[in-house]
Amino acid sequence: MISWKEQLSGRIPEQLGGEVDLFEGQIELKKQGKIDDKIFAETRLRRGVYGQRYDNGLRDDGTGQRPLTFPCGDLTKGPDTVWDAPGMMRIKIPFGKLTAEQLDVLSELAEEYSDSILHVTTRQDIQLHFVHIEDSPDMMRRLAAVGITTREACGNSVRNVTACEYAGVCNTQSFDVTPYANAMVQFLLGHPDVQDFGRKFKIAFSGCEDNPCGLVTFHDLGAVARVRDGKRGFRVVVGGGLGAVPVEAKVLAEFCPEEELLPLAQAVSRVFARLGEKQSRARARIKFLVQKLGMDEFKRLVAAEREGLRYDERWTAFLEDLHATDERPVRKAGGIPSDASARFRAWAKHNLKPQAQDGYYVAVVKLPLGDFTSAQGRALSDLAREYTGDSIRCTVEQNLAFRWLSGADAVAFYERLDALNLGEPGAGTITDMTSCPGTDTCKLGISSSRGLTGELRKRLSVIQEDLDPAVKALRMKASGCFNSCGQHHVADIGFTGVSRQVGGRKVPHFNIVLGGQWTENAKSYGLVVGAVPSKNVPKAVELITKHYLANRNEDESFQAFIARVGKKDFRKVLAPLQKPPSYEQDPSFYSDWGDPREYTIGDIGVGECAGEIVPFVEFGLQEAEQQLHDAQDALDAGQATAAAAGAFNAMVTAAKALVRHLDVQVKDDPSDVVAHFKTHLHDTELFHDPFAKGKFASYLLQMHGEKPYENADREIAHRTLDEAQLFLEAAHACYQRLTQSRAAVAAE
Amino acid sequence: MHATKFQVKLYTKTGEIELGTLIPVFHEWIREKKIPDELLIDVADYAHVPQGPGVVLIGHQSDYYLDVADDRPGLLYSRKRGFDGDLQAGIDDAFRRALRACQLLEEESDLGFEFSTSEVFFRVQDRLRAPNEDATYEAYKPALERAASWFFGGAPSLERLGGKRDPFAVRIHTGSTGCVSDALSRN
Repeated sequence: MISWKEQLSGRIPEQLGGEVDLFEGQIELKKQGKIDDKIFAETRLRRGVYGQRYDNGLRDDGTGQRPLTFPCGDLTKGPDTVWDAPGMMRIKIPFGKLTAEQLDVLSELAEEYSDSILHVTTRQDIQLHFVHIEDSPDMMRRLAAVGITTREACGNSVRNVTACEYAGVCNTQSFDVTPYANAMVQFLLGHPDVQDFGRKFKIAFSGCEDNPCGLVTFHDLGAVARVRDGKRGFRVVVGGGLGAVPVEAKVLAEFCPEEELLPLAQAVSRVFARLGEKQSRARARIKFLVQKLGMDEFKRLVAAEREGLRYDERWTAFLEDLHATDERPVRKAGGIPSDASARFRAWAKHNLKPQAQDGYYVAVVKLPLGDFTSAQGRALSDLAREYTGDSIRCTVEQNLAFRWLSGADAVAFYERLDALNLGEPGAGTITDMTSCPGTDTCKLGISSSRGLTGELRKRLSVIQEDLDPAVKALRMKASGCFNSCGQHHVADIGFTGVSRQVGGRKVPHFNIVLGGQWTENAKSYGLVVGAVPSKNVPKAVELITKHYLANRNEDESFQAFIARVGKKDFRKVLAPLQKPPSYEQDPSFYSDWGDPREYTIGDIGVGECAGEIVPFVEFGLQEAEQQLHDAQDALDAGQATAAAAGAFNAMVTAAKALVRHLDVQVKDDPSDVVAHFKTHLHDTELFHDPFAKGKFASYLLQMHGEKPYENADREIAHRTLDEAQLFLEAAHACYQRLTQSRAAVAAE
Repeated sequence: MHATKFQVKLYTKTGEIELGTLIPVFHEWIREKKIPDELLIDVADYAHVPQGPGVVLIGHQSDYYLDVADDRPGLLYSRKRGFDGDLQAGIDDAFRRALRACQLLEEESDLGFEFSTSEVFFRVQDRLRAPNEDATYEAYKPALERAASWFFGGAPSLERLGGKRDPFAVRIHTGSTGCVSDALSRN
């Protein structure tokens, strides 16, 4: 029988083919029990083979957790990860650039090994879900045959290098960053200096300072194109990140000459690999190293590392032909027909952007939740061949951009898109939301971000033509948990999934995050205004936007409005929505969007009247939330020190409530609270998050020890507020776990 | 070894379907183990994708789609792995499982579904072993005709679909006016 390996013989680059063969061999060794679970897990992650929800072989069916009895028995592909359980394959698409042929192959893989859906991620990757690990080597071979590798798509490595989808055709760029991003990809892929990181490492490029496409400020390493005295170079920033606590990257070099870009990245990598945290996953990103060392010391170490680097010709070889990555149009330039239909014009308003090259446009195909089908993929590759050539780019807003579309072809292109059900207008508007996978497939999802986004899309699409332009211009983004893959921190209106215990049952909620800034490469991050039950979020969006429209000054932007009125105003707006009805009044609040299963796990609280008796601990947690809100108001009012102190007090209040819940006597003195919290909740790991472990507890312990809230500036206050918010979420989760554990003991 | 990744789709007689109504049904199938010889895992909701896979009941051996491709809703059975048998047995089994799923959906009275047996869509998601070319069609034609005749009676006519890049697919016109239960009761 012929295999894909034989079928594609001669078409797979030797090194890539060898790597896939090696991985296939490791799969066999794992099946024979000859590779340790942890080692195999990291091995497959570094090949883009990722876990997925329920891959521990357990699933709650709405009435309780049930085993999923896979045929593989005890065979695992990592700790608590069942071999046969479906997983996700993340396929790296460097700077999002795809050829028509690549899109064809991706479409084939989606229908042969997945569920016929291709998903564009916020890092310009393509993800396929529900994939079996034993199919992955053939998938990798088929990808390798068209120049794609999944190597280092996941794991503690350099992830997909992203770049503005308009690079090379943009009107505001300093120059095309594509060849530099490409050189960075090639240079660092598999480089020995990037194999020993404690955590992942994300790199982004932007062609200019002002537009958001590159989003460099929340990356581990970001490069913004600059020209100084006629010479090309980059402003290089380091140590940014979203995640649980967003951090803005700091400037490492105001101007790094182009020939120094790769060695600088290598030096940074070596410092990170050498000094970055390796034991505590929660503090292993480079942002923590930069914080710990301070920027001056970090710069000194990088400079010293750079001095000692052995010369590598690849640092500059790519500069000899910076046009190697240029795209060539397949059609002649032309103007858009003046008699185009109203439907076309409505689409073109937001989905068509003129290029720097006269007569050419970038057409953005707005994808619903970043998804498209295999059949659509093939049809899109046909469109590319006919109209634009190999110039497709996945975007960080989970869309596809087709560059080099002649204006003369724009109407025909749109009509073909429309026939594929891909002619939806409103790219980059409020209806064009991004979302992480959330509880649909992610192991870490708390609430259904895709379910919520799908619901908001559905409702807003109906009324989008009637929306006020100021509202239409807003961006909304949703993350299913605090890890922020949906990039909610930089949205005008962001959502992050949390859960709450109400009347003995769990209710899916979203924290509403307001005031993030998408422009200027995602310049600033929003803050949580409050948690709203998932089912009330559409109403919350309606109230927030109405409040803005009714009270803004003329032409006042949403961000300026928030800065002026403060978040306090919005908390009043949201207050009526924050308490869900009782289960008896409306059980739908106790399920998430698109999922009829009851959100509560197991039998806890079911059939009891616990909901009418509010335990003391709940009052304490509520008080802590109020203190945190007051602290946020203080920051809005410019009182950074008061804000930071208030955030610390909120953490102490929540900790005290939990300690008392354990029947431990504790004084109001913060030192006493923290000491007891450490003994009874931290050291016992009761407060540990299943994923983040002791991360959130450490926020309180460190804050108490280091007292950063004394004389805090705005940046420290902001970070303190973020950490306090996460600590409170963890306190709620801890309380839920304690409740479950007590109920289980009682049931026995 | 021949391909086993067969897909069989039967179309609903109802023109439009509210896909959201399928989600609780599929969750119940998982909970109640409605397909006892298969491991059912999860439900994937793609209702937001026009003419897409719709709502998918994800299983280990097979997936079951309430698929809305080409704006023609239907139950699409999709085998992913785990079949030992010859080509005819594999096709027969795929037809049977698709029909059983249709029957289960028809039994969900709240849905009000009824499936047509006059037309069956058959596809193989395996370009290596079943490329969309003449030789594949010639190899599959007799087995497909036998299966269609076996389940639906009469003499079916086959129409090959798609081009070289597409997966191998055939539309089978059965001429049947019978119901799903009739088809299942014939064997």
